[in-house]
Amino acid sequence: MNFLKALSRTKLYWGLIAIFLIGVLSSPLTSSGRNIFLSSGNLLDVLRQVSTTGLIATGMTAVILTGGIDLSVGSLMAICTVVCAMLLTVPGDTAALYLGLPAVGLAVLVVGAAAVRFVFLNIEKSRAGVTHIRDIQLDRTRGTVLPAAAGIVLCALVLSFLLPQMQTKFGVLGVLLVAPAVGLMFGAVNGVIIVVGRLQPFIVTLAMMVTALGIARLTAGQNNAVLPVYTGSNATADFDMLRQLVFGIVPMPGIFFIVAILLYGAVLRFTPFGRYVYAIGGNEEAARLSGINAGRVKIVTYAVSGLLAGIAAVLYVAQYRQGKPDAGAGLELDAIAAVVIGGTSLMGGRGSLAGTFCGVLIFGLLSNILQLHNINSNLQLVLKGVIIIGTVLVQERNAYDLLAQLRLPGASRRPAQGDTSVEERTSRETLSITMGGKKK
Amino acid sequence: MRDAIPRDSVTTESDRPILAAEAISKSFGGVAALKDVRFELRAGEIHALMGENGAGKSTLMKVLSGVYTDYEGAVRVDGETVRFSNVRDAEAAGIAIIHQELNLVPELGVADNIFLGRERVIAGLFVDRKASLEAARGLLNRLGIELDPEARVGQLRVGEQQLVEIAKALSVEARILIMDEPTSALSPGECRRLFKIMRQLAADGVGIIYISHRIDEVMQLSDRVTVFRDGRHVWARPMAGLDENTIIAAMVGRNLLDAHRRDRGKGGGEPVLSVRDLSLAVSGRHGWRDVLKGVSFDVRAGEILGIGGLLGAGRTEILETIFASNEGLRGGEIRLDGIAVNIRSPRDARRLGFALVTEDRKAKGLHLHESIRDNVALPLVGRLARFGLRSFEGERALAKGAVDALGVRCAGAGQAAGTLSGGNQQKVVIGKWLATGPRVLLLDEPTRGIDVGAKREIYDLIFKLAGDGLAIVVVSSELPELLLLADRILVMAEGRQTGLISREEASEERIMQLAAPRSARGRAVA
Repeated sequence: MNFLKALSRTKLYWGLIAIFLIGVLSSPLTSSGRNIFLSSGNLLDVLRQVSTTGLIATGMTAVILTGGIDLSVGSLMAICTVVCAMLLTVPGDTAALYLGLPAVGLAVLVVGAAAVRFVFLNIEKSRAGVTHIRDIQLDRTRGTVLPAAAGIVLCALVLSFLLPQMQTKFGVLGVLLVAPAVGLMFGAVNGVIIVVGRLQPFIVTLAMMVTALGIARLTAGQNNAVLPVYTGSNATADFDMLRQLVFGIVPMPGIFFIVAILLYGAVLRFTPFGRYVYAIGGNEEAARLSGINAGRVKIVTYAVSGLLAGIAAVLYVAQYRQGKPDAGAGLELDAIAAVVIGGTSLMGGRGSLAGTFCGVLIFGLLSNILQLHNINSNLQLVLKGVIIIGTVLVQERNAYDLLAQLRLPGASRRPAQGDTSVEERTSRETLSITMGGKKK
Repeated sequence: MRDAIPRDSVTTESDRPILAAEAISKSFGGVAALKDVRFELRAGEIHALMGENGAGKSTLMKVLSGVYTDYEGAVRVDGETVRFSNVRDAEAAGIAIIHQELNLVPELGVADNIFLGRERVIAGLFVDRKASLEAARGLLNRLGIELDPEARVGQLRVGEQQLVEIAKALSVEARILIMDEPTSALSPGECRRLFKIMRQLAADGVGIIYISHRIDEVMQLSDRVTVFRDGRHVWARPMAGLDENTIIAAMVGRNLLDAHRRDRGKGGGEPVLSVRDLSLAVSGRHGWRDVLKGVSFDVRAGEILGIGGLLGAGRTEILETIFASNEGLRGGEIRLDGIAVNIRSPRDARRLGFALVTEDRKAKGLHLHESIRDNVALPLVGRLARFGLRSFEGERALAKGAVDALGVRCAGAGQAAGTLSGGNQQKVVIGKWLATGPRVLLLDEPTRGIDVGAKREIYDLIFKLAGDGLAIVVVSSELPELLLLADRILVMAEGRQTGLISREEASEERIMQLAAPRSARGRAVA
């Protein structure tokens, strides 16, 4: 198994290397004979271009790992670009403000309280030592009262930083706080509806995709206006830093993307939360019976997905100097494609952010190569689709054992086990479901 | 339907079986489900097939109805050897089966369900609704079933659905009708109606194979009885002159397990787990339905409480209700060490020191493609982590401890759980829960699908854990297993507790008597 996994992972890098080689070999040369594809300018441009999709794919990976899907990210990004652009360019009372400030307030309150509670919990854990294997319970003061108080104080601090900017226009730090918070809030709403309402993530996020698009248009007002952002004239010049090169080499959006991949990757690998994400995707019922709060974990993955869409939105505004309601159209599909190309199973439980990183780059390099050859943009779409199918087909070879299992003679008809009770039990459950008695 | 058999020949041919199974053997992956069994059915008789869970009744029926095609031995219909390659073949030979579970499409009407897959069509394209409604009406009339052929099946009561299923089976002109526990979901009134139809069919010359756990029904309904035990044929006798105890004794048999037994602890002291008036109601189509009612018991440290009963009697539900892992309205009081506890989720249950090893370990117990290490450590990942970082060292130590302590045979703790044998998978699940340091261990069918050698190891493990002072509750369908493991046995029937008997007074016969649902018996708790 491990060997197969390793093999599949190398296959992924092979895909990346292969597409890179194709790029190098087929690249047109400059008049001085230099390889355009290989020029650092071109490659850094690729990094810049994939950053938006990449950030969204990062959040999407965790959602898909739990066995879910998030179709709303494109629309959430649209809302956030509108909010961001509006805060940057319009002073005073705006729709963006009404959306943004409560979101920031709530987000800081909840995150702050959770963080303080987390610290208390871990202090208590250290005190209890490893021999005490039962879960640690906090008393009321440290479990509820102090975290709530801390959350409120933190919330007040952040709002007191933001409120003065209301009269004028928001700065970089301001929008970097507000836009992601809006995304986080909408993402959390997705998660809460999915978990509390026990609904399919597909349908909930599809509804959110439509709803959020509407909200984005309403917020933008005046016939879905495009909100231009001219740093230096109608917005603060500092905002330009989000599109510049850091140390004159790496574009800022690329830094955001790479940091997000590394951070979230570390979270998935090294924290209990990450372990739960995989466990839920692998077998949610077993995870739940092991005492894992599956609902909370899922809500967090959707919230973070929204948060990352919000960050992507700010970078988008910086990059394209505008915020508009159709900014993220179709982005969710690009992100899902990148995640799947990266080897993450849509069934959940298997995959990694390293894979997603490769998937995003494969996608980006491909577009770049097609552009360098001046291929018709419509034809580009066709080729992209073909490449996605090709890549995933290669990936599916790893699931060969699964396919083989499904094709076993008789397996499709009836569980082939003499174990009557199990059979009878499950069939009885199936019956009660088909009869509409029990909704799961 | 009966025209095929000339009237005058019925008497002379009635002794010749219309269906005979000879020397049938069938195994699943090395585990024998049927060993050299025989069975025969005559025209016009109701022939009951009895046996405990896992005796091989359903397996034989699936052989006879063309579901299982890879078996040894011969099936004869009217003396001619046949080998069905699918269910359609069996139907063509006049064999129809009504499975315990209903195979109806709730969204379709009664007539549509009856003729599903065999629709009458006009011009080879369009369903002839009128013809099928008429045919269905005729069929229902003949059976004396008062149902509207246009009614949507999903809106019928379960008993009525069962009748639709019967009509469907008979619409293929069946001469041999197999009924697998048809009354498990029926009310007494519906049962009587069904029996009337069955007798009428038998009088018309249809041979009926009737499988049921309800001995009283079997005794009043059937002409002959065949008993299976552990996949073997015990005997076949005419019903006349048989009594209940003879049948039960044949079903149960004698010591199947060479019971070896630890020295029991004193079993004294205060109860660790004390359950009072436990109840569970789930919402169904007709409002709330009681699945469990009035279940009360105590388990002391070092004691093993067994829960017995038939399938669907509410055994698993007791464990799930305690562990709060099921849906529905839970009621009653649970005390741990004398303190009332409120368990709202499996998470609460784990925190308090409960552990649940589920019946279906693949679907609910394990992450099959993950390593033993990850499986064992899962409940404790959060507890072992420090400031948000997982303690891989701690998780490894935990898994190694479990693998060593339980003797899991594996290449290492990194091996994927799905690649282990059933017994070793079960050890991993148990190991996962022992790592959480439980006070109360709830085991649901702990040896299901495990070979004999591994069963022994699991028994030894359970005894050892009891010796260590855990309070253990074991649900099992296998009576010998219950008798071997349990200090006391709680018997359930139809969601009610029908007895709580000590080890000394427990016997397989006694448990079976308590477990048998009686259509006549009232709701009173014994």
